[in-house]
Amino acid sequence: MALEVSYDVIQVTLLSLYVSGCATILGSAIGIPLGALIGLKEFGGKGLLKTITYTMYGFPPVVSGLAIYYLFSRAGPLGSFGILFTPTAMILAETLLVIPLTTGITIASVAEVDRSVKETVKSLGTTPRQSVLTVMREAWVGLVMAAMIGFGRCIAEVGAAYMVGGNIKGETRVLTTVIMLETRQGHFDYALGLGLVLIAVAMAVFFFLRLLQEKELL
Amino acid sequence: MRQSQLMLIAVAVVAILLVSTAAVFVLMKEEPKKLRMATTTSTQDSGLLDYILPTFESKYNCKVDVIAVGSGQALEMGKRGDVDVLMVHSPAAEQAFVAGGYGTNRTQIMYNWFVIVGPDSDPAGTRNATSAKDAFQRIHDNGTAGHATFVSRADASGTYTKELGIWSSIGYNNTTVVAFDTSWYKQAGQGMGAVLDMCEDLNAYTLSDDATYYSRVDVALIPHLNITKQGDSALKNQYSVILVNSTMWPHINKTLAKDFLDWISSKAGQDVVKSYVKYGHQLFTPNAPGYTSTTAIAGFVDTRLFEDVTAGTGEVPEAMLMAKDTRVDAPLGRAMDGA
Amino acid sequence: MSDAVVLKNITKRYKDVTALKSVSLTASKGEVFGLLGPSGSGKSTLLRIVDLLEAPDSGDVEISGETVHSDSKEAFHTRRRIGMVLQKPMVLNRSVENNLAYALRIRGWSEEETQKKVDRELKRLGLEERRKKNARTLSGGEMQRLCFARSTIFDPVLLLLDEFTANLDPANVALLEDMIRNYASENKERTVMVVTHNLFQARRMCHRIALMWEGEVVEVADKKRFFEAPEDERTAAFVSGELVY
Repeated sequence: MALEVSYDVIQVTLLSLYVSGCATILGSAIGIPLGALIGLKEFGGKGLLKTITYTMYGFPPVVSGLAIYYLFSRAGPLGSFGILFTPTAMILAETLLVIPLTTGITIASVAEVDRSVKETVKSLGTTPRQSVLTVMREAWVGLVMAAMIGFGRCIAEVGAAYMVGGNIKGETRVLTTVIMLETRQGHFDYALGLGLVLIAVAMAVFFFLRLLQEKELL
Repeated sequence: MRQSQLMLIAVAVVAILLVSTAAVFVLMKEEPKKLRMATTTSTQDSGLLDYILPTFESKYNCKVDVIAVGSGQALEMGKRGDVDVLMVHSPAAEQAFVAGGYGTNRTQIMYNWFVIVGPDSDPAGTRNATSAKDAFQRIHDNGTAGHATFVSRADASGTYTKELGIWSSIGYNNTTVVAFDTSWYKQAGQGMGAVLDMCEDLNAYTLSDDATYYSRVDVALIPHLNITKQGDSALKNQYSVILVNSTMWPHINKTLAKDFLDWISSKAGQDVVKSYVKYGHQLFTPNAPGYTSTTAIAGFVDTRLFEDVTAGTGEVPEAMLMAKDTRVDAPLGRAMDGA
Repeated sequence: MSDAVVLKNITKRYKDVTALKSVSLTASKGEVFGLLGPSGSGKSTLLRIVDLLEAPDSGDVEISGETVHSDSKEAFHTRRRIGMVLQKPMVLNRSVENNLAYALRIRGWSEEETQKKVDRELKRLGLEERRKKNARTLSGGEMQRLCFARSTIFDPVLLLLDEFTANLDPANVALLEDMIRNYASENKERTVMVVTHNLFQARRMCHRIALMWEGEVVEVADKKRFFEAPEDERTAAFVSGELVY
């Protein structure tokens, strides 16, 4: 019995890592370059775009879940892909939540890079693309922070994950949705135990990310 | 080596992702045919499905994906074709669902009981109520007088629908109920377990399904709540299976859905339902059309044995059942003499 | 085309302050040209315009005989032939050797060629043992020498120095000035423009000097005449230390 339980726990934990990992990577791959461009380029409406990005920090996860549900429901426009109630839908819903975070934190990080760095590299003859890449590298600590915060958002997500994933046994159960299930059934101790597992797993990930952050990209 | 360091890290990350993806897929068994079922959280939490589905799955070599949400959400998912079959317990809403053309083959398969649950002290005196309606009236009168509290599900669940039905049968329509004074009538908008916990906290009454009540007792979360009224036919909680309209949604696994319906309403399926015992009670009474139990299990009441009395309505007068009662807290779990 | 830099009527305004008022001057190829003047005289602004980092509100910038606008595509190529060293040593958060290699790598040099050049510079700077260390661990003087090496490693035709020793102690000042002098004399194609408020430095380093005062060029003269027989009274006052800066 105990072994069965832990087998399930392993699968659920791995799925949590998979869904959150993919969403973080996708959200960072989109948000970090986007944030660098917004932060470093001058254009009309830049201020408005920044405000919108920061406002989306407070975007309610259930709304993200609802939006993805509507999109991929059979009755919805993208229903024929059959993505609903699969981990893919969960990844998409969580990515939506991550993108504003990674974008916004990157905007702030690149803005913080000393102006003279930007001027120095420009005067050394960089193309605009090289400039952006160099500034991003100088802002490395902030960029990894963006990914960290994105991951934190994902691993803790429950509402959207439940809604678009369906909490199907063996398919779309992640640590948070199982915690919710067990709590609902009154198994508080077990739920707490799973919570500890989640924190332990998150800690491992953040430890790795911190190593990444402190790595001197010499 | 700045570029190559970044590359190395990127490769490591991708590798980890690939490994965990592979692990996820390896650990998940290969995909046989799938049936997607929407049901309610209380059904899932009762553990019935975990118990009966393996039998169905091995017989038909398939996997059933159970999505447990609120009644309202389950029906909505059926309307949208996101699931193949529904197992719910909200008769009025189900009828509307079928009438709207969203589902077919609505078949009753089993029932369990709602119970009125209240604090040890029973300030509204519901233990002495003659019926569920009477109990509700007493709660209302004591509530407005400030002696009792009631916590309501106040969501689109079957339980809430049942609650509204009882209020309505004693003259309080939905609008009135929703406008009950918040000093005694609390609209929680939460699941059954959470509502029971609230009642424990507030010394309040509520209407609960028996399975959730027993499960809460089992984990010792509600030491001061007791069943104060049960067994009234008004408290019967009827479950049905409905097939989602496969003409409207051609992608639906209609064969497997029909198989499930056939199986669970067959003698084999119904017997399995009957055999599910938890917390010391048989939680569900199978009542698919045409089902006859040849051997009655202790605690199981076969309403067909009362057909001469009930005239086919399946509703046994309580007095008749009470006469045979030997167990204090079993809902309809009464031993049958000579059975 | 013996003129490295020609500025014609350069005007630049910042909000309600006119930093440069129709400045014109010429720096010849191979010379070390000094821009002298008190703080706020517009020297640094002018240098940034020469480096094509900013566009003037009006006027033309000619580098090696070609008129360039800072926003144009040509500006990019021209900028790649100009090197600049700022007052505050500005190193990237990476190793010494990667700082040196930076300008070459962005120009697409092969790793082999880059390494050769970097090795030579490291030897010249005496920083071979610390090549893999983070450049930010260097002392102020070492950092500025690194900045100089970094900005000249790609052999620019024009080198711009903006108060480049203002933050350094006298020993390092001397070191850096030596490096510039050697650099300039090595190759007669190279031109250096030095912005400084230190008249002694100007005298030590420059062939010709311009005095700037409140956004205008007051006087341009070769070193000897500038210091010994200035035409303008402000030049005379500055040179004798009377103009407080």
